[in-house]
This record gives sequence, C-alpha cells and structure tokens, in this order.
Amino acid sequence: MDELYLDNIDEFVNDHNKIVTYKWLSLTLGVHVNTAKQMLYHYLDHKRKESSAQLHATYLVSGKFVHNGQTSYKVSVVREDQLEDFKSKMSLIVSIHVYSVQKALLKDSGPLYSVDYDAVKDNLKNCSRYSAIRCANAVPMSSLELQQVREKQWGPTPEPENQKSATNGDTSQMSKPSSKPQKGIMGMFTNKATPKNQDSSKGVTSEQKEDTPVVDAAKSKPAGKSNPMINFFGSQTAKKPDKKVKEEEAAQSSSASEQRHQSSQPEAKHEAVAAELPKDTKRDCRSKTKRIKDSDSEEEKVEKKKMRRIKKPEPDSSDEDVLPDSPQQMETREPSPSPKKESHPEMKTRKRRQVLKSRTFVDDEGCIVTEKVYESESYSETEDDVPASKHTAKDPNPAKLPASNREDKKSQKKASNTNKGSKQASIMGFFQKK
Amino acid sequence: MTTLTRQDLNFGRVVADILCEFLEVAIHLILYVREVYPSGIFQKRKKYNVPVQMSCHPELNQYIQDTLHCIKPLIEKNDAEKVVVVIIDKEHHPVERFVFEISQPPLLSISSDTLLSHVEQLLRAFILKISVCDAVLNNNPPGCSFTVLVHTRDAATRNMEKVQVIKDFPWIVADEQEVYMQEPRLIPLKTMTSDIVKMQLYVEERAQKA
Repeated sequence: MDELYLDNIDEFVNDHNKIVTYKWLSLTLGVHVNTAKQMLYHYLDHKRKESSAQLHATYLVSGKFVHNGQTSYKVSVVREDQLEDFKSKMSLIVSIHVYSVQKALLKDSGPLYSVDYDAVKDNLKNCSRYSAIRCANAVPMSSLELQQVREKQWGPTPEPENQKSATNGDTSQMSKPSSKPQKGIMGMFTNKATPKNQDSSKGVTSEQKEDTPVVDAAKSKPAGKSNPMINFFGSQTAKKPDKKVKEEEAAQSSSASEQRHQSSQPEAKHEAVAAELPKDTKRDCRSKTKRIKDSDSEEEKVEKKKMRRIKKPEPDSSDEDVLPDSPQQMETREPSPSPKKESHPEMKTRKRRQVLKSRTFVDDEGCIVTEKVYESESYSETEDDVPASKHTAKDPNPAKLPASNREDKKSQKKASNTNKGSKQASIMGFFQKK
Repeated sequence: MTTLTRQDLNFGRVVADILCEFLEVAIHLILYVREVYPSGIFQKRKKYNVPVQMSCHPELNQYIQDTLHCIKPLIEKNDAEKVVVVIIDKEHHPVERFVFEISQPPLLSISSDTLLSHVEQLLRAFILKISVCDAVLNNNPPGCSFTVLVHTRDAATRNMEKVQVIKDFPWIVADEQEVYMQEPRLIPLKTMTSDIVKMQLYVEERAQKA
C-alpha cells in the first residue's frame, strides 16, 4: 500500500514525461500537500539510491535573507544544482521541501506554472482542499454582497474623492475581515514552511510575527488609500505589497476599475490560486504583476479606448505600448527607434503626458475649425524627436475623427455620392453618347 | 449549436488564425528549448495564460511571421498536411524534425460554447510538452540553424507559386537532403483532437547527431 504511490509517481515522471509538482500530485492523488511533499521526497530518495534514471528536482526554499542591511523573508523555487549555493546565502533557513520532480532539466520556471494551471482550474472551487493554509474569515462574498459593493462603486463615479470617503465609511467593516486574510497571506509564508514538524512551525510563527507588523504597517498605508481596491478583492486579497501599489496606480480611472472588477473576478481567482505557488519573490513577483497587468491592460485598453477617444489615440496600434499608468509595461515591447532604450532597458526616461493643444484645420465645407483637445504626448529627458513626432503625426487623424464625426460622415456620404455619381455618369454616359 | 462547413470561409480563417498563432509560439519555444539561438534573446511572454519564451530579435521574428503568413492560406483551405520545423546542423543535414500534422474535419461543427477555451487548454498542453521535450531528445551539436517545411496536399504549391503571398519571400521546393533524414527515431510528443482541428506533434531525431 505504501509503495503504490512510488509506482504512480514513477509512471508520471518516466512514462508520461510529466513535471510532477507537489501541488499537482496532491490534487491528482487526493492527499494533503504535506503528504505529497513527503511522497516526492521519498521517491527522489528511492530513485537516487537505485541510480537508475536521470531525474531533476526543484526545491522550495524559504527563509530570512539579508540584503544591504535589510532583512526580508524570501521564498524561492531553486533548481537542485543551485540549492547549496542559495542556502549558503540565506541567513536563516525556515524550510526546504521538494517542489517538483521531472526528467527534463528545466531552463526556466515557466512550465512549473503551466503544470499547475489546469489542475487548479479544474478544482477551482476547492483547490485549497488539501492545503495547509486556513483562514476562517476568508470566504467568498455572496452575490448579494457583491451586488452591494458594485452599486457603491458605480454610484459616485465622477468624483473619486467622494467615492473614497463613501466607501471608507461604509466599508470600514469590510477592511477588518480583509486585514485578517492579509495576515492569513503572511501566514501562508509561515504555514507553507512546515513540512513535518509542528514545533518548528510554532517557533517560526512567533518569529514571523515580528516581521508581520512591519509588513502590515506597510500594507495598511496603501490599504487606507485604496479601500475601493480592497472591496474588489475582499476575500481574495491583494497578495503582495508590490501588487497592491501597482494596482492602485492602474486604477486611477474608475471605468478601468469597473472593468477590472467584472473581468478580474475569474482572473483574480486564478491569480489568488496561482499566488499560492510560492515563486522567486524578486523576479517572479514582478513578472506576476506584469502578467496581471498584461491581462488587465488588455481589457483596460478596450475600455480605455472607448473612454478616451479624444485623449488617447490608438493606444494599442502602436508597438510602443505606452500607457500612462504602467511605465513598467514599456519594458516588454519596444521597437528600436530610440537607441537609448536599448542601452538602458530598465530605466525608463520616456513618459507620456496629456497636453491641451488646439488644433486648427480646414474641414470639408471650407471652414476653419479650431478645437482644443487633450493629446498625449510622449516626452523624455532627451526630448527625442523621432517618437514624439511620430505620435504627434498620428494624433491629428484620430483626434479629428471623434471630434468631427459628423463632418466625416458627411464627407463619406459625399464621397460615396460622388462615387455613385461617377459610376452613374459613366453608365449614363453610355446611353447619352448616342 | 451551429454547423458550419468548410465553405464558410470566415470560420476557416478563424481556425487558420488560431493555428498560426499557436505555430508561432511553438516555433519560438522550439528554438528556445533546443538552444538553436542563445537564450539571451528570449523573453518571457504570456500566451494561453501561461508563460512562454518568445524571441526579441526583430529579423528572426519577421522571418517567422512571414513564413506563417504564407502558410496561413494553405491552412485555410486545408491544403497543409504537415508543418515541419527542421533543425539543421552545419553541414546542412537535418538533425531533428518537429512535425506538426494538421488535419481539419470537413464538416466543422461548433457544438459547445466552451470550444475555444477547450482548444486553448489543448494548446497549452502542447506548449508544456515542448518545454519538457529535452528529456527525451539528445543534445544537438553546436551551430545549428532551422528551417520550416510545409507538406501540402495535391497541387497547392503550384497555386502558391503563381501568387506570391509576400513579395521577396519566395518559397521553393525543398531539397531531398533537407527532407529526408538518415536513421530517424520517432518520438511522439502530443496529440490533440477537437471539433475544429486535429493535430499531432512528434519528433524525428537522427540517431547519431554529433
């Protein structure tokens, strides 16, 4: 009986050539995650003694890390060959356990995420059935509560300050339960760190409590500012401080926040679940925020495009992907017109600003029309002419479009009329010649 | 529940779009995993909600896009039987062939609302399989390059020659030596069946590589 799971894992790893993560194993075999971790460890041990197959493993290491005098709690997934090196850099190792076992040597961590994605998606409602993290107050909001929250948000839309004060007053109670899940999330870093011993976990949590007040203080600041955000993510709380701050920035336009609320409910659930997979905080935290921003901004763009027809011409037609609220996204795709960027890929000197400009043009009827529009202009420290002119060159066309829709329609009609006229003329000309 | 036939070109285009997007991601991933190009030019991006590696090199990207742009009309008309990504060593002999066999059912029927998300899930599995394929393949010799071959049904290529889809991007009939490999070993990777397309991915590997 005890050996059956070894055969199972063997089949998965060798025959199917799968990557077996502890989370996937626990969901597949229906066991607690700690049991799954032990199973993987025994399997690895067993196989290594037999020295039959070439197996690779990744480990989850969590502990204290001192960098430039600052102590932080770091949770990382490391490959086996980097394990010792990594361990030596940590000041205090809280836990190490096997994260995954596979035949292939993974070059990057992408597939680790993909493996769990489908397994978790299938078990979305109870993906934490076997997990060691528990929080009594973390329950999904009922649809009635969701409705109430939405109504509060949609009511005073044009005045964000009023909105904030209204929701602050109404939802002071909401923030309380949300702070508890926050502790629960911090508890995630502690609880996950207990593979076998309960004693060590107690020692750990007492130590972690020293850290949590620091982090909680930092969290409560953005919490105060972004209560609307907490409402959205009530039980599925924002995971890490980085994420929250970024989402705060991005949620400046209320329409975007609506859109995110609607579309991110299923997405945030994914992220909530995916965030349980501890990853390298430094790298993947950012990449995760990037990912969220990627997915969010796709939807945001559609909404923003409608909202800011005049302000924001063609936000996603240009490759530059420059959005005012997400300077980080510029890293992902940038064409080469500005050689500066190639040399400084991390530093962004390019910014966008809304400038009130008056455009003067002659419309079809021969009248000179002047209108004041907000145009986004990209400027940088060095005032590069090329992209700036590119943008301003693009601007007149779409800026005209929404403002002078009527004229365009007229001109279109006229154009089509003249077309027809010309066609008719030629056809009639055939008859009239004679 | 709608039943569409191949004549419904709109739907054929949708399938071709999906497949070409997938092939683009797959080709980039193959280049990354098989180390055809240094990993520094690759960057993590998201596709089908999972991270994938795509190259940032503009000429490489343009080449792949042009290639797929020319293949797309063939897929639309269901003329493309196989799309093969061949990895070639310095002496221009193929060392590995990643074969995507594609077939579309003649009568396309969309029977469920979750069709596209189901297809997405299957394509995700393909991508995952490509990521771990280096467990079953031997390492390639250094200095490899790649090329893309398309096996078409009937006389589709004659039509292609008549109409050059992209200017300055001609397609030629492949050489004998690029197509056939000595002593190939077949390693199946993944198969998928869905309402709109059936695809199979396997790798033919040369027994002695270096």
